[in-house]
Amino acid sequence: MKLRERRRLVPPVLLAVCAVTLIGLVCTARGEGGEPRYFAVKNARIVPVSGPVIENGTVVIAKGLIQVVGTDVAIPPEAWVIDGKGLTVYPGLIDAGTNLGLAQDDDASKKRGAGPAASGPEDRPATTPWRVAADELKTDDKRIESWRNAGFTTALTVPDGGIFPGQAAVIDLAGERPGDYVVRPRASVPLSFKPVGGFFGFPDSLMGTIAYVRQVLDDTVWYAQAEPIYQANPTKTERLPYDRTEFILSRALQNNELVLLPANNSIQIVRGLRLASEWKIRAVLYGGQQGYEVAAALAASKIPVLVNLKWPERAKDSDPEAEQTLRELRFRDRAPGTPAALAKAGVKFALSSGGIAEPKDIFKSVKRATDAGLTQDAALRAMTLDAADILGLGDRLGSIAPGKIANLVVTDGDIFNEKTKVKHVFVDGRWFVVHEETPPEKPGEKKPADDDGAAAARSNHVAGVGR
Amino acid sequence: MKILKLSSRGAMALVLAASLTIPAWSQTTSSAYAIKGGKVFTLAGPAIENGTVIIRDGKIAAVGANIAIPSDAQVIDATGLEVYPGMFDPITQIGLNEVSAVNATVDVSELGDYNPELVAATAVNPASAHIPVTRANGITSVIAVPGSTSLDLQSGGLIAGQASAFNLAGWTMDEMQINRSVAMVINWPSIQTATFDFASFSVKEKPYADVKKEYDKSVNTLSDWLDRARHYAQAKEKGSPTLYERDLKLEALVPVVERKLPVLVIADQERDIRNAVEFCTKQNLKMILGSGAEAWKVKDLLKDKKIPLVLAPTNRLPEQEDTPYDKPYTEPSELFAAGIPFAFSSFGTAFSRRLPQYAGTAVAYGLPHDEALKAVMLNAAQIFGLADQLGSLEPGKLANIIVTNGDPLELQTQVRYLFIKGQLTSTDNKHRDLYEQYRKRPQPAH
Repeated sequence: MKLRERRRLVPPVLLAVCAVTLIGLVCTARGEGGEPRYFAVKNARIVPVSGPVIENGTVVIAKGLIQVVGTDVAIPPEAWVIDGKGLTVYPGLIDAGTNLGLAQDDDASKKRGAGPAASGPEDRPATTPWRVAADELKTDDKRIESWRNAGFTTALTVPDGGIFPGQAAVIDLAGERPGDYVVRPRASVPLSFKPVGGFFGFPDSLMGTIAYVRQVLDDTVWYAQAEPIYQANPTKTERLPYDRTEFILSRALQNNELVLLPANNSIQIVRGLRLASEWKIRAVLYGGQQGYEVAAALAASKIPVLVNLKWPERAKDSDPEAEQTLRELRFRDRAPGTPAALAKAGVKFALSSGGIAEPKDIFKSVKRATDAGLTQDAALRAMTLDAADILGLGDRLGSIAPGKIANLVVTDGDIFNEKTKVKHVFVDGRWFVVHEETPPEKPGEKKPADDDGAAAARSNHVAGVGR
Repeated sequence: MKILKLSSRGAMALVLAASLTIPAWSQTTSSAYAIKGGKVFTLAGPAIENGTVIIRDGKIAAVGANIAIPSDAQVIDATGLEVYPGMFDPITQIGLNEVSAVNATVDVSELGDYNPELVAATAVNPASAHIPVTRANGITSVIAVPGSTSLDLQSGGLIAGQASAFNLAGWTMDEMQINRSVAMVINWPSIQTATFDFASFSVKEKPYADVKKEYDKSVNTLSDWLDRARHYAQAKEKGSPTLYERDLKLEALVPVVERKLPVLVIADQERDIRNAVEFCTKQNLKMILGSGAEAWKVKDLLKDKKIPLVLAPTNRLPEQEDTPYDKPYTEPSELFAAGIPFAFSSFGTAFSRRLPQYAGTAVAYGLPHDEALKAVMLNAAQIFGLADQLGSLEPGKLANIIVTNGDPLELQTQVRYLFIKGQLTSTDNKHRDLYEQYRKRPQPAH
């Protein structure tokens, strides 16, 4: 509360400067001042995902949570009421694999990946599990806002670079301070099997990389067992050597963090399943684009998959005359059929934007999946409740039900119809009004809450913020 | 029958064992030989049963069925054997590369992209251990090609130098040489987006636009060199010596732009071949295509422009993932059917000895046998303008002759007698030495 008090003392002139210089997020928080944090969307079509569609329904949001949803609902007098006539309310979409809010400096992540040449597993090459995405969050990442305006309220944001690049976080896509964004700071441990050693360092082969991961996990298990023994008998046991990797990972695994295993093609997927059972970890496969070939095996394993929506395609700067192999053409043709195949086989999966740069391309990718047989209901589920379940947050995210975090997206139609527009987004009960792309600062368009000029500071997509 | 028990290594052992029967380096002073009683494949007409070949002063004096044997001739009884012209391997690094892994023994290419003045003959090591191995397998002459390696054709620069033809016997290059300069070697700049990145030790994709730009630059530079050579030739012919400075690079290119010296253009992919043919046509160069893994895709073009081909070894992987697995085997018969002159070649050093097997594989996949023989004996000589000296058993040609106990394209066939420049030549070689060495190893007591 200190922050808020201090900000009340900020003179209006400074606020105006703040507005002009686009320090948007500091300014947006101001809206969270004295007004009640109650909202209601009434007379809307509500798609709760966890239950049947409610026509002419009302959803009430109170202090960041969904209070009640239904047709015959009392709206609290302190609520700001939005008339939802002609609108549809969905749970906020979850992007189950992205690097939103993380530095996109390729060179830096390459450097982290490479590191000094290692001569063996003892040098812990390209291993930085202590890099916690939640602590490196850059809320000025422009993509956060464009994702939110497209209806995404939550993301699993994953650090990259190296074999153990760090720990991924589940974040909501709004907040006053970076910490506000974080739903679960240590959500998962991503792995990469890409050899990092180059010509001179260990490991420089896939074989070496997997052996290395196996070694690290074994060391971690040993550390987790040895640590309490030593702590209980410090005078009878030799002091335990400290290893940062083992120390961090043992805690991550004790916390039951998900371990994300790379598995894009069918061979990698089958390998991922085998390693998951061998390593006794809470595994989730990511990539999964050739899942259509091994859907049955995936279903039998009950291991969920984060399917990368960046479908394989010919690189734009590739040689136009280069021979296209049948294998590549087949993969490009069939990959979008993976979600449908997984749904049919009963595999639990979520969808991730992977390397997609624009939210509109995410929806184009989803459309290719639905064109290839995935029902829109299943697509929505994969982007909401199933994603939440896989991330272990199904109790608080992914559907419109009392007690869940108030992450909602309000549209003027079917969310998968390309003509549909997102009108409102709620993130943790913060209200964002999404405007169409029109030139900013048109007089007379300002919302009452924006009369301090803060709205002009925000991008032209968003006017009302964080009430 | 001990040899046959060697099973897996049997094939090689048989070839080696065969050479045991051959007399050592002949010390005779006679320069006349008569090979009689064998079946003579002249490659200039039908085979002659019970034919005779007369050799004198290094050349073939006579070939036929009923020929009088001169009194001074040393007679070789070839009864039950077959007589052929020696084989000719037109793209090798023989003499330029002894042990690939030992830098000091590798003299295949020079630094820099444009080295037309280099001549392979100046670098060939006549004492190379590969020479006796190769000739013991029936190959009597080769061309050493600078700037070409079987691993990476790009490594030798764009204009790699001049290829030299020589016989595989002799103490000095002067003794061995057939023609110092038979072709100017051009490694065609291929547009390759996949490049090897040594930092990560993996293949990286470069943007096409960048690669295309580099390619255009290379071709423009190549074109510049030829234009300068034309200008140089003109100045040299008509201008005063005081008005031009001698430039060995340009001077080396003059016969190229005058069409006196062919260019041997190494290219594999369809686009590269098309580009190279277009370039050479535009520049009015006499082109020989080398390697040509995808030549089967441009048969009409090669036929139309009358471009001969020196084919990469048939025992190789198909060029693309979806290329039929047997395309390298069937390509020769396709080229023959299309009427494109071609020769087989090893593109190697230690494996030059496999030349007949490369052709044999093509026969198994549809190439007529007599055409395969020509493609290892005669065609390369024609392609490189050496057919007046090599390639067939006709009077006046160099007496490079092999006498075998069967089809030379068969792996198990043995070369019984070997003549190079009319000299009965030893088939002793490193392989046989090693064979003998290990055959005599101490045996365990029973």
